[in-house]
This record gives sequence, C-alpha cells and structure tokens, in this order.
Amino acid sequence: MRLRTVLYFMRQAFVSLSRNGWMSILSVATVAIALFIIGSFFLLVANANAIASQLESDVRIVAFVDVSVPREEVLEIREKISKDIDGVVDVQLVPKEEGLKKLGERFGENNNLITALGGKNPLPDYFIIRAEQPQEVKNIARAVDGIDQVEKVDYGGKVIERLFEILRWVRLLGWAAMVMLTGAAVFLISVTIRLTVYARHKEINIMKYIGATDWFISWPFFLEGMILGLIGAAIALGTLYFSYVSLIQNLTLTLNFIPFISDPVFLGRTLCWLLLLGVVVGALGSLISVRRYLKV
Amino acid sequence: MIQLFNVSKVYSNGVKALSDINLEIEKGEFLFIVGASGAGKSSFIKLLIRDEIPTKGQIMIGGRSILRLKRSEVPHLRRKIGVVFQDYRLLENRTVFENVSFALEVLQCPSWQIKPRALQVLQMVGLSSKCDAFPAQLSGGEQQRVAIARAIINTPRILVADEPTGNLDPDNSKEILKILYRINKLGTTVIVATHDQEMVDSIRKRVIALEKGRIVRDDLRGAYRCEA
Repeated sequence: MRLRTVLYFMRQAFVSLSRNGWMSILSVATVAIALFIIGSFFLLVANANAIASQLESDVRIVAFVDVSVPREEVLEIREKISKDIDGVVDVQLVPKEEGLKKLGERFGENNNLITALGGKNPLPDYFIIRAEQPQEVKNIARAVDGIDQVEKVDYGGKVIERLFEILRWVRLLGWAAMVMLTGAAVFLISVTIRLTVYARHKEINIMKYIGATDWFISWPFFLEGMILGLIGAAIALGTLYFSYVSLIQNLTLTLNFIPFISDPVFLGRTLCWLLLLGVVVGALGSLISVRRYLKV
Repeated sequence: MIQLFNVSKVYSNGVKALSDINLEIEKGEFLFIVGASGAGKSSFIKLLIRDEIPTKGQIMIGGRSILRLKRSEVPHLRRKIGVVFQDYRLLENRTVFENVSFALEVLQCPSWQIKPRALQVLQMVGLSSKCDAFPAQLSGGEQQRVAIARAIINTPRILVADEPTGNLDPDNSKEILKILYRINKLGTTVIVATHDQEMVDSIRKRVIALEKGRIVRDDLRGAYRCEA
C-alpha cells in the first residue's frame, strides 16, 4: 500500500469521525460501556480463579493412625502412602509428641497437661497429605482410609466440594457473560457505525460506479472503527482500573483473608487485552456494516 | 466491442425488463437507445456496467464475458466504462475539482498525474473556471458536465449515459450532446439511453428502439421516430 493511500485513508477516517460527531460519541460510549462490563466480569472471574486455586492448594488430607501402632510401622505407612498412592505430592508426619505440644500451647504456657492426662499421651500420630490435583483429594482420602492401621481420614469433604462447585459456576457464568457481551458489543457497534456508513452510502455508491475496489472503500471505515474502539476502550480501562483499585483497597481492609488480585503485571496485561479487544471489536463492527453497502 | 446474445432480464418481482436482446456495438460507435419509460433502457445500461446480471444470455465486452467476472474483478470492468446518470450523482460536500479528481484518487493515481488530467477534462467540458465551486452552486447542465468529466477522467473505452439530459432544458441538452459527440470523436464508444427526441434527431447516429423490453428497430443513421 502506498503511503499516499494510507494518508488518504487516515484523512478520510478522521474527517468522517468529526463530521459524524454525535454518532462517533455514541459509538465510543457503546464501546466504553461494553468493555467496562466485560472487564468487570473478567476481573470477577480472575479473582474467583485466584481464590479457588488458593483454596485448592490449601486442601490437605489429615489421616490419623491408630494409637496402638508403633512408630516404625507408622514410618512404613508413610512410605507406602507417598509411593503407592497416585497423586500424592507430600506426606508429612506429625508425631504424637508434637501433637501434644501443640495442644499444650493452646492451654497456655504453664500448663501441666501431661500430668493431667496421667503421664500418658493419648494422641495418635497423624499425617498431613497434600495432593497434586485437588480433584484427586477424594480418591487419595479413600485409598488412605483403606489402610488398616489408619483410623480416620479427614479432608473437609462436603464443604470444600460445595465451595469448588460454586467457584466453578462463577467461572463458567463469567466466561459465558464475557462471550455474550463481546458479541453484543460487536452488534451494537456495528449498528451505530452502520448509521455513519448510511450517511455516506451515496458516496460509497459513487465509488463503486467509478470502479473503486471493495477494500479501498472499506479501509477508511475500518480505521474509523478502530479509532472509535480505541478511544472507547481507553475510557473503559481508565474507569475500570481506578474503580477496581479503590474497591480492592477497601475490600482488603475488611476481608483481608481473601487473596484478591492486585498484581500490577496481571492488571496491566488484562488492560492491554481489553484495549486490543476494543480495537478489534470496533474494526469488526464497522467492517460488518460497510459490507452491507458494498453490494452494488 | 460489446456483444449481447439472447439477453433477457426478469427482476425478482417478476417484471420483465428485457427479452431476447441480440446486439453488437462496434468500437468507437455512437449509439442511442430510445424508448418510452419502462421500455428497458435503464436495465440495458445496468447490465452493461454489471449493476445487474441478466436472467438469461451472455454479455461480452472486449471479447470477455462480463458475467463470469469474479466480484473482485467488477471494479476493473467499471474502470473501462464511464457512467453518467440523469441525477448527476456528485458529492455535495466536494468542489468540482475534487469531484472529478476523486475518480482518479479512487484508482490510486499519483497526485502529479491527477491534477493536470482533472484540469484537462474540466477544460474539455468547459468548466475550468468553476474548479472551486460546489455542485449546489452550479446549474443542472454544469453539474452534468462535471459528471461527464468525472466519467471520462480515466479515459474509459466506453461511456454510457442514462438519460443524461433528462433534467435539462434544450440549450443545456445540446451542450451535453456536443460534449458527448466530442468524446466519441476521440475514440470512445458512447452509448446514450434517452427519450429526448430532439437530441437523437439532431445528429444522425445509430438508434436502437426498445419497446416492452424488445428491440423493435436498429437504424444505422436513425431518428427518434421510425421514418418508414
């Protein structure tokens, strides 16, 4: 493409933008609102993901060994769990002495728990098992429970599963909403741009009769859509960024146990993607509407 | 140059515009298509510039079928054929000069070529003094001359005009005819669809009369009415 042609396209795009002032503002607003909503959903999903993976990595299986089992055998069981059961990352043994110490700490510094218990430690040895994949937790728990010397297995069971279920729905709905909103944004933008194209259909018609190629006619509109998308996206991103940052600041004050995302690299990357989405959506929307008038 | 074989056109609403047209137009010819409104003149023009596609038959221009053109090849066909319409179809917000040079702009000509060529064609239609005027500031005849200038700026081999004098008074019509005649003398095939009797009768050229979509007469040196 010649530089002259490129300049011609750019000039046409800007002339059209300023000539259709109100339509341009309308299109920009449409892009901005749509992208703001899409971005909000994306951040919601991203946070749900972060919380979910945090919880997932926290899921442990606790297996209590029968009190009567001697220590050597307990060590053997540990070997067995870490070697024979699939998906186990790490097995940590908490001996009964340590368990008692921890329990004692809860009663305060100067306790004589051991005396109160008659000099005997009634606590069992137990393992803390970590799974590679959260989905494997259930199977691992079942397998560990199958070992004779293991008395009881605990892994938060139903509650954790419910929580994962909820987070999975949040993710799924979030993605679905984003896809639908993107489609709606393309549609809305193509409708608004169609009006600006309609205002110039006479010109398009004349160009067709003179022998202009379709792409020559489309390019200025394509650029126009990209510019509209870019401006709209910039507005949406600015708003989104500042409202998210202040929201997170407030939330972490009250809910500081939830790991909200505040990583600037992640946020920067998200904003870049949204910017790109705005440009693509704008260009696509205008291209769709020009195509309708090219069939002369 | 232009050949039509058994061409028929029926619109999707059932209107039969043209039936079984067979015609050969030589290079450099000047040709009138005459007939009452609805006789099929405009449809004929539309078929030539591939604005419409015939329901039946074949159309050849320069030895090539224009029906087999791909969508992307249609612009190249239209560059070989200049078109003038009854309603001028100028861009209101551009000056005369811009309207004319627009046709070369669209073809991505370098600007050093555009300017002299635009001035040349504007001089040819007698409007070099109105370069900076806008279409609304011109008379109908002048607007049509701008449209003709635009149609010929890229030296097409064929110029088709659909009722070019339909909105003009006799004096302006004469002026338009003169220009078309001059363009023809420079070697361009000129096809004029019209029901302007005076224009047809003033120069004895080939006349094809259409009636209800059929050719009823084809006189090499004809008049608007049959001279039997």
